[in-house]
Amino acid sequence: MKVFFSILFFAFVVNAQSLKLTKAPDFELDDISGNTYELADFLGEGPVLITFWATWCKPCMEDLPHYSEIYEKYKNQKMQMIAISEDSERSVAKVLPYVRANEYNFTVLLDPENEAARDYYVQVVPHTYLLNNKGEIVFSHSGYKKGDEIKVEQIIKKLLEKK
Amino acid sequence: MIRKLSETALMILFAASLTFAQDVNLPTGLSLSNQSKYSYDVNLDREIFENWLNADYRYGIFRAGVRFDVFQPNDPNPAVSRGKENFSGIDFTYFKVNFGKKKKGFDFTIGNFYSTFGRGMLVKIYEDRNVRVDNNLLGAKFYGRYGKFSFTAFSGTAANSQNVRKDILHAADLDFKLSRKIRIGASVASDKPFVASAARTSMFSGRTQIRLWNFDFYGEYALKQNQDVAEKVFDNSNRFVGKGIYGNLNFYYKTFSISSEVKYYDNFMFTSYDKTVIYNTPPSLTQDYSYILLNRHPHALNQNNEQGFQISFNYLFSKTLSFKGNYGKTKSLGVSSDYQKINGADVAERVLFDEAYFHLEKQFDNFIGVFAFGYSREMETSTKNYTPIIEMKYYLDDINTLRAVIEHQQVDVLSTNEYYYDDVFTFEWLRSPNLTFSLVGEMQTKEPEKSHYVRKVWGFFRVGYNILSNSEVSILVGTRQAGNICIGGVCRYEPEFSGVELKFMTRLF
Repeated sequence: MKVFFSILFFAFVVNAQSLKLTKAPDFELDDISGNTYELADFLGEGPVLITFWATWCKPCMEDLPHYSEIYEKYKNQKMQMIAISEDSERSVAKVLPYVRANEYNFTVLLDPENEAARDYYVQVVPHTYLLNNKGEIVFSHSGYKKGDEIKVEQIIKKLLEKK
Repeated sequence: MIRKLSETALMILFAASLTFAQDVNLPTGLSLSNQSKYSYDVNLDREIFENWLNADYRYGIFRAGVRFDVFQPNDPNPAVSRGKENFSGIDFTYFKVNFGKKKKGFDFTIGNFYSTFGRGMLVKIYEDRNVRVDNNLLGAKFYGRYGKFSFTAFSGTAANSQNVRKDILHAADLDFKLSRKIRIGASVASDKPFVASAARTSMFSGRTQIRLWNFDFYGEYALKQNQDVAEKVFDNSNRFVGKGIYGNLNFYYKTFSISSEVKYYDNFMFTSYDKTVIYNTPPSLTQDYSYILLNRHPHALNQNNEQGFQISFNYLFSKTLSFKGNYGKTKSLGVSSDYQKINGADVAERVLFDEAYFHLEKQFDNFIGVFAFGYSREMETSTKNYTPIIEMKYYLDDINTLRAVIEHQQVDVLSTNEYYYDDVFTFEWLRSPNLTFSLVGEMQTKEPEKSHYVRKVWGFFRVGYNILSNSEVSILVGTRQAGNICIGGVCRYEPEFSGVELKFMTRLF
């Protein structure tokens, strides 16, 4: 049985190389100020960086400052950034103070029911997706290591050139 | 053993060969994910295979999906396997339709679903594979929004510890945004027992969230009702047989923030009649840690008999220097509590758990240094734990990082006046974007007699690799000390392990 499922699993991996771009799942979430957003609100103008994070996640604390820098650098070229917090009811109270203390300007959405995370198959945070202006997924990456932001910035530059 | 290891090697080889193979596209709208975990314990000659395969399909306003689970066999802990010792089959199926837009519209789901009201005081139906919680409901769910109102209602039944769905849970929640600064809500939930003569258990709550200047307040008050208990224990003098109170006040100013929370949970666990399905998980007010030793003596949430608080704060002195800390205390309830009356107890309140933690982090050019210290007192295991930690991270260049963590813990066993030490050393090489190599060693030192030391050592290495941009594979080989994985006060005990562990995760859109 396990061999069968291993085959199934790796069959997915095979497919990954040549997939046509597909639309990212839509979501409808509140931001830290209580405003409701859906994915469509961010599409149509430039690339969209979506990062799933949580206040208790150490690598997330490392990648957010880098992604924030990228956002500040390219926001005038219509790049969008959404940080979706996967903090549960236990730690969601810490999201707003954390964001304010770090003076982040990107959109921070709350996903306390992990509905968006389930739709994007996020099992581990941080998890980053890059969408083009049509909302198609062009890149996804799980975890964070110093240097990941270089790859992300390269793809954003390419997307901005294509625009 | 050789056969097992050969199987494992075969799987890896198979992965490597297929990764660079053919060319297929998924139909538009279809997305898939697969998560596998295989472990073989050499000492116990035991293998465990767990797999979750999700398939979802979106077409216009419609969505449908299934999750196919395989546990061949499952984790031997019955609290984890919950009636699925050897299982393969469809565990989750749904069909969802969405009408309208974000301001006016509704979703309707039939099949399996998850849902959380507020901060989980009344209802928290969720899945977390890390702690192996999945209390999904099978039934129907409605979610509607109209301007400043949103409304959720559902009826469903959850699988009990024998993987049988018996009780029916009905619940509804109304949320109203009075203004940009004030939001209120109310929830009701009721469990209809499968035993016809047993009374329903119903829960009611009201909540409010207020934002003023740099303050942010959230408060929720909830009550529990059960006619059988009210009659037998309180002779009908009490209409309600349990209550829960949760409050949270945040303050932030520039780069300083402080968050304070209080809890009071008296006979507040909301369960199925057979008590094997828990519907609510209110905030536990305990800290989750990423360091290994800080999770060794956790406190598991008990919704029936807890009160306490937690304060945490963050301060960024500059972009390169930060400080954070927290202190929390959890006590049992006093003799006047409903919980004690119901259980015929007469026990004075006592400290169940307290913890303090601080974390100082400084970045130099290519170097980050962390000094952290944790203290906890956990009365379930009767231990006091002191844990200093040093973490160093060095950026070799733009994509290569070396990381070393030294953790030391002194454990005082309060019941026997004994003490012992644990030391963990972690070394990692991280190469962006794909490779992680970790080496973890642990030594436990006990001194059963004066100057007579007994040492036990564990060690493993783990290699993780991101294949393309949508799959991750990791392999662990070695021995690992027993420990806990805790998320929000819900803990999963992982026994000591010696052998090989493989993990795969992939997702396709």
